[in-house]
Amino acid sequence: MKTMINHLVKTLVLSILFTTSVLAADKHVATLRGEVNIDTQAEPSAIANTVNKDIKQGRNYPMQPPVIPHKIRNYEVNLNSNKCMSCHSRNRTEESQAPMVSVTHYMDRDGNFLAEISPRRYFCNQCHAPQKDVKPLVENTFIDMHTLMKSKVNTKNEH
Amino acid sequence: MTINRREFIKANAVAAAATVAGVSIPAKASNLITSSDVTKLKWDKAPCRFCGTGCSVNVGVMDGKVVATHGDIKSPVNKGLNCIKGYFLSKIMYGKDRLTTPLLRMKNGKFDKEGDFTPITWDAAFDIMAEKTKQTLKEKGPTGIGMFGSGQWTVFEGYAASKLMKAGFRSNNIDPNARHCMASAVGGFMRTFGIDEPMGCYDDIEATDAMVLWGSNMAEMHPILWTRITDRRLSAPHVKVAVLSTYAHRSSDLADNSMIFTPQTDLAILNFIAHYIIKTDRVNKDFVNKHTNFKLGNTDIGYGLRPEHHLEQKAKNNGKTAGGSSPINFDQYAKFVSTYTAEYVSKLSGVPVDNLNALAELYADPKTKVCSFWTMGFNQHTRGVWANNLVYNIHLLTGKISTPGNSPFSLTGQPSACGTAREVGTFSHRLPADMVVNNKKHRDLSEKLWKVPTGTIPPKPGYHAVLQNRKLKDGELNFYWSMCNNNMQAAANLNEEAYPGYRNPKNFIVVSDPYPTVTAQAADLILPTAMWVEKEGVYGNAERRTQAWYQMVEAPQGAKSDLWQLVEFSKRFKIEEVWPQELLDKNPTYKGKSMYEVLYKNGQVDKFSINQVPTDRLNDEARHFGFYIQKGLFEEYASFGRGKAHDLADYDRYHQERGLRWPVVDGKETLRRFKEGSDPYVEAGSDFQFYGKKDGKAIIFALPYEPPAESPDAEFDMWLSTGRVLEHWHSGSMTQRVPELYKAVPDALVYMHPDDAKSRGMRRGDLVKIVSRRGEVQTRVETRGRNKPPKGLVFMPWFDASRLVNKVTLDATDPLSKQTDFKKCAVKVVKV
Amino acid sequence: MKEIIKIGWQTLKKPSAYFSLGFLVIGGFIAGVIFWGGFNTALEATNTEEFCISCHEMENNVYEELKTTIHFSNRSGVRATCPDCHVPHKWTDKIARKMQASKEVWGKIFGTINTRDKFLAHRKRLAQNEWTRLKANDSLECRNCHNFDYMDFTAQSSRASQQHSTSLADGEKTCIDCHKGIAHQLPDMKGVEGW
Repeated sequence: MKTMINHLVKTLVLSILFTTSVLAADKHVATLRGEVNIDTQAEPSAIANTVNKDIKQGRNYPMQPPVIPHKIRNYEVNLNSNKCMSCHSRNRTEESQAPMVSVTHYMDRDGNFLAEISPRRYFCNQCHAPQKDVKPLVENTFIDMHTLMKSKVNTKNEH
Repeated sequence: MTINRREFIKANAVAAAATVAGVSIPAKASNLITSSDVTKLKWDKAPCRFCGTGCSVNVGVMDGKVVATHGDIKSPVNKGLNCIKGYFLSKIMYGKDRLTTPLLRMKNGKFDKEGDFTPITWDAAFDIMAEKTKQTLKEKGPTGIGMFGSGQWTVFEGYAASKLMKAGFRSNNIDPNARHCMASAVGGFMRTFGIDEPMGCYDDIEATDAMVLWGSNMAEMHPILWTRITDRRLSAPHVKVAVLSTYAHRSSDLADNSMIFTPQTDLAILNFIAHYIIKTDRVNKDFVNKHTNFKLGNTDIGYGLRPEHHLEQKAKNNGKTAGGSSPINFDQYAKFVSTYTAEYVSKLSGVPVDNLNALAELYADPKTKVCSFWTMGFNQHTRGVWANNLVYNIHLLTGKISTPGNSPFSLTGQPSACGTAREVGTFSHRLPADMVVNNKKHRDLSEKLWKVPTGTIPPKPGYHAVLQNRKLKDGELNFYWSMCNNNMQAAANLNEEAYPGYRNPKNFIVVSDPYPTVTAQAADLILPTAMWVEKEGVYGNAERRTQAWYQMVEAPQGAKSDLWQLVEFSKRFKIEEVWPQELLDKNPTYKGKSMYEVLYKNGQVDKFSINQVPTDRLNDEARHFGFYIQKGLFEEYASFGRGKAHDLADYDRYHQERGLRWPVVDGKETLRRFKEGSDPYVEAGSDFQFYGKKDGKAIIFALPYEPPAESPDAEFDMWLSTGRVLEHWHSGSMTQRVPELYKAVPDALVYMHPDDAKSRGMRRGDLVKIVSRRGEVQTRVETRGRNKPPKGLVFMPWFDASRLVNKVTLDATDPLSKQTDFKKCAVKVVKV
Repeated sequence: MKEIIKIGWQTLKKPSAYFSLGFLVIGGFIAGVIFWGGFNTALEATNTEEFCISCHEMENNVYEELKTTIHFSNRSGVRATCPDCHVPHKWTDKIARKMQASKEVWGKIFGTINTRDKFLAHRKRLAQNEWTRLKANDSLECRNCHNFDYMDFTAQSSRASQQHSTSLADGEKTCIDCHKGIAHQLPDMKGVEGW
């Protein structure tokens, strides 16, 4: 009995503590679904447009492959051709003024540099994707290392 | 940076002078931070959290946060590459809606099935769980308790769970979501070779002349292996790639021979190839005579639906006889496959005769080394075990197996489907190291290693994944714990089975997850869970490679790993409360002990002191329980397989290596099994030895084409195939929370042939519903893009929590493997 | 046989004894109109997409590929049919192209590309024919719809406006130089300029 009361108190205290984030009904739980019960469905949103502004998006860390800032509709990458490389390969960038793929793309499995893009990197879409013009369903709280460094430098300077 | 004007001027002057003098600029004076004590990241290795490829990832940590990830150049699997998901691993743990407290459905301060989710303490959560478990045990006995686990569990988590269920609660009702993923592959291995998992390895890709994808879209589902295949194909122009699928997709872009076949007819194509090899006299007779036997398998085995379904009523061999077979000879086998002529199979499958012949030639030509790859196309198939058997047939007939470049390779979907689900044996019928519960010897050995009395493990296989949902609905499975999976989104026919099952008032459903998933939404109690590098772990990938990682960051306050949850929960039970008296009498020393003391603090698992955890390492579980629990569990588990062709190295070694492929004998990994000189278990002089079978011979099975459970008809006039996309992992619970991945593919669309859309008065973007006999789902039409279905078939991925395509799919399973066929059912698509 | 030809020729040579001059002139004119009209109607009939894709070679290969491209389905619904791009609009050029097309009739009869594999084997040559033609006529068929003078660069993506306002504007490049494969899949692009 004592433990029960104990738990009840704890639960009550917790409930009060969490009032700001209390999830009132089950339909409020699954954030990716919106406020919809499982046996029903919200009306699917329209197909969003692809962002086509050609504005480079910042990277979360240096090793992150950049996202594609333009449309790639009907760009073929197959046994016959690689449309992406007709602008982004080293010998095409002078004419196209597109960014050259990074030097890592010329390395084979063992880290040797090849004269042309490495076949293992042939299918660009395995790492790079255009972005749809949509708002994320859930915020991401990932912190950029630069932000962390800056705050460290700041605290150091304050001392 | 706070810097006053005077300091600024001074700093600039110094910088200018320094530049002139050619000396480096002190960090503080530049717009860049360069001081190494600030810029330094702590790097560590971990296997990727996603698919079964098992790439190694370098994880960069700063101030207790993961701030960067990239492909591990030292890993032989991926050599520095990651796919787009892998590159964004850094962000998967940081979705804003991470769960940090247990949530219980409550009304008026008490649990209520119809109540609202309310935060409670871990103590209170375990209290209600223990109460519900004990109540179930009293009312229904052990079979009323069940657990649904995961091929994404770490090895120790799977092992601890299996032990908790099978030895603790004495219930075999534990199954992993790997049941949906590669149960048919397991069935195929056990039936043909008598031992699970591939004989070859990824190195075969670089050694082969031809690669055949059977119903697998590796470009999206195994992207890093696809980079190796692409590398091989493009750098060695003689190499050929053949892709078989029911619709064209990204893998077709590399295909020299792209074949679109009618669903289910892969069985006929496989038999055609066998026939072609025999007809053109290219059977490797020496190999076949020495190393194979022939058997005729039982047919008409049903579709794993509920027993009252008319298809089950009709089936001749849908019970215990489904897996039966009788010996035949080569001539009988040749006669059996002789009906699968190119013309007949072409008509059945829709693949032109020329393409079929070109495909068969890759296998038949003795000079061509060939690798076959498959995953869900074969495995999620009501004849999945057969499909696996049939592909081994053609490799065995030609002897193209276990040698460099010759490899029938069963890919896996999940990061530890092999390591945790299969090797640990977290299936309802399995025990570690390929042992099974309905074998007395296997139970005896397991009980001995677990130090529990004989008779502890129940001999009857428990409820498998699909049966669990049916038993929940029927009210026979009342305490159910779902961990590390999202089965409300993943299981077929959720409308008729899973959802009513979870919401059945007789049942208490616990869901452990880092995020509030669809499954969590259907639960009664949600437990916040630590993930990936927030805990120490071991995963086993598709090529038998076991990989370990250390805990690198703390989980959010309140979230606990699955391991902690399982072991901590075991403390809530006295062994008397879960075991019958007669069992306890066999080992009276256990009297009065807790389940925790019997299962985990048993002198074995707690053998390794906390001091063995490197001092600079986090390890929340070890420090909580007071001993190196991961090492203890791993070593106890490893004792099952050592000396039995499943040898693992010592635990500590895995922290040094980029993984090792078992069996690891005398410290050396094994690249190819069953081949003398490569596999230490093959006896000298035998050349090849399929030692999973007593006579060392693999079995070539004569099995026919049989139609699928459901095909399009006048009303439901289209095939529906479901699957994944590159940018999202499974149900999207992690990747949908990474903005870049979400924006790459935000919604699940239905891919449709433009003519099919036109004839239904639809166009791209139209709001439609896909309707089957079981339910409906709404989405938007896509007539272009990465997937190009033929007329008569639509494809919709299942990652989208807001558009649950599994309301529509059919829960027909392979009667042998109990794996669901998510790849084919009949639907109609109508405008909303 | 010789006799018949001889009699026929003599009949034609002789002045008309039965029909009036007026009848002959008007009749000849009407016959001419019918003949010419018929020819043109037939010519135009071969100039429709329906005609083009009545051959499975076209329907199953290039037309099937066209369906997912922007020249088939786009925001304004203005779509290109086969002849829009592949048949010159100027009469003389059109007739010249049609005479070339007689070779395609042979191809059809002898089944030169009657399977997907055969079509793929010929694809590079076929594509090059079209690229050469469009290069030579400064992408005339593109320009029938896409008139450079009326392009609104501000409505284009910055990549597109950059290229169009420089290379296309000064005539250094023509449409087909950059837009190969805009409506159909590409052949093996090894050795193709700009790839």
